[in-house]
Amino acid sequence: MSAFYASNLVLVQATLVAILLALSIQVPLRLGVFSLAGVGSYGIGAYVSANLVLREEMGAVPTMLVSGLVAAAVGLVLGVVIYRLAGLYLAMATIAFDLTVGVVALNGGEWTGGPVGLFGVFADLTMGLLFGTVVLVLVLVHLTEVGRLARRITTVREDPELAASMGVNVRAYRLTAFVVSGFLGGLAGCLNTLTRSAVGLQDVSFHLVVVALTTIIVGGALSWRGAVIGAVLFTWLPSVLEVVGEWQEFVYGLIVVLAAIFLPTGLYGLWCSARRRVVERFRPPVRPRRPDEPDVPAATVAPEHEVAAR
Amino acid sequence: MQELVAIASLGSVYLLFALGLSTAWGTIGILNFAHGAIFVSAAYGCYELLEVRQLPVLVLAVVAVLIGAAMSLLMQVLVFDQVRRRASSERAAETRILIGGIGVAMLPIALASHQTKNMAFGLSASGFEASVWTIGGVRVSSVQVATVVCAVGAAAALAWYLRRTRAGLALRSLGVDDQVAALMGIDRRRYAWATMAVAGGLAGLAGVLLTLNLGAISAESGDALLIKAFACVVLGGVGSTLGVVVGCFTLAASEVWVLTQTSGMWVEAVSFGIIFAVLLLRPQGIFGRQEVRRV
Repeated sequence: MSAFYASNLVLVQATLVAILLALSIQVPLRLGVFSLAGVGSYGIGAYVSANLVLREEMGAVPTMLVSGLVAAAVGLVLGVVIYRLAGLYLAMATIAFDLTVGVVALNGGEWTGGPVGLFGVFADLTMGLLFGTVVLVLVLVHLTEVGRLARRITTVREDPELAASMGVNVRAYRLTAFVVSGFLGGLAGCLNTLTRSAVGLQDVSFHLVVVALTTIIVGGALSWRGAVIGAVLFTWLPSVLEVVGEWQEFVYGLIVVLAAIFLPTGLYGLWCSARRRVVERFRPPVRPRRPDEPDVPAATVAPEHEVAAR
Repeated sequence: MQELVAIASLGSVYLLFALGLSTAWGTIGILNFAHGAIFVSAAYGCYELLEVRQLPVLVLAVVAVLIGAAMSLLMQVLVFDQVRRRASSERAAETRILIGGIGVAMLPIALASHQTKNMAFGLSASGFEASVWTIGGVRVSSVQVATVVCAVGAAAALAWYLRRTRAGLALRSLGVDDQVAALMGIDRRRYAWATMAVAGGLAGLAGVLLTLNLGAISAESGDALLIKAFACVVLGGVGSTLGVVVGCFTLAASEVWVLTQTSGMWVEAVSFGIIFAVLLLRPQGIFGRQEVRRV
């Protein structure tokens, strides 16, 4: 029983970290910035937090803040440098950034522990703090998905020229996306290090890019709910997939391909459209038209009414 | 001098691999993340075949080309065509093709690493022994010569095809504006299939040649090569054959130089540095044309 509890605790922690990592790629994507730099920030946060705890003996909360801010600062510098790029070129430049972080981690000497990594990173991180942090982040992200801010973000993504002509500072929004992505990635890396009390090359590998990208594509890219769905799915899937044994990777790849083809808006989008369809089915039927009612839309009728009233 | 041989053979493997990637990206707009998986699968297919019966190396090369072409074509028909057909816009299709490629790449690699139990595999059962000549103190193997000849030949043929034939013109027009090209009666689908088949064939050939050259490769080696090929393509300019040639040999030269100057741990960073620097300084690459859509 205790073994069951322990293994599931690890899964819950991994899910929370995966949500943050997925958000670090999803937030810029919602602004039309296809940046995968969040994975590099994840590596930076992981190693910075390990050093802070091991050398400075910092507590969990300051470690989280400092690692997040360091990663956000790197994100800002990166954003200023590669601001001009777009689309696949931006994706490629940020993948190069992610992999560079990996090479630095391999060659970082005593700061990164080289191929071995760093162990024994113990800080006072409680489950409540971890959970609270993720919920706080989700609430903040949710606030960017409602109201005026959400409309601005959508406009910056769908039509940057229109947004600029409406007085939205597109450049500032995009740079903010890099900073937020860096912060979230750094925080995710930090929390991963603190929950596992170790950091190694697997925290800076290309595989993480694949995991983060598939999480939001399968879950859904336009809302934090998609990131949550994807994170839960891909963290818990391996334990479900134990029935297929060594073919896990194969099934994983198959899911990604099928999602790329058939789920343009992810599972969350699928849920939304299904809900819409159900709502429309149970909507009260449209009142049949009276025989003397005019055959034109109300909008074109209205001015005549006004004339008649005068 | 020995370094020059290393640069030539390394650059040629990159070239065989990157040519198809660059052409598919530059003409039909498909950035295939599964190109590395095709490369590994062709080598692995030959390895499996050798378990059954011994084959001469020339037959192996042909088999590798066929496996690569068939896999690439299958990916195009089953995944990329489907994604494009269902995608709402060109930009959405680009992203989904990238992700579909990542997913599709996992399938053969999972299969190969399962069958080989994550061990490196070679083509030693072919009974092929590379002969090594020493010319003026420089050692050159027959595999290295074959790699250079194949790569330069393929690049020359491709450049000639794209520049001098009617079909090449049609293919290039797809790269400029595929909708106008379609209006002019160019069958986009057919050209996409042909391009992907050729790209896959070249990747398969590269797989066999590199495996013969190194002695053995592992199932994951395709991913590392993919990033390097991106560096070559970005450096030279997408869709430019001359650009890919220059990009591949520049990358090979930089890597060999870094390898001789440092302990070798930083070699992996060379290609990332090149991608980064080129995208910042000259996003269209050395020989790329200025394009509005790209930046």
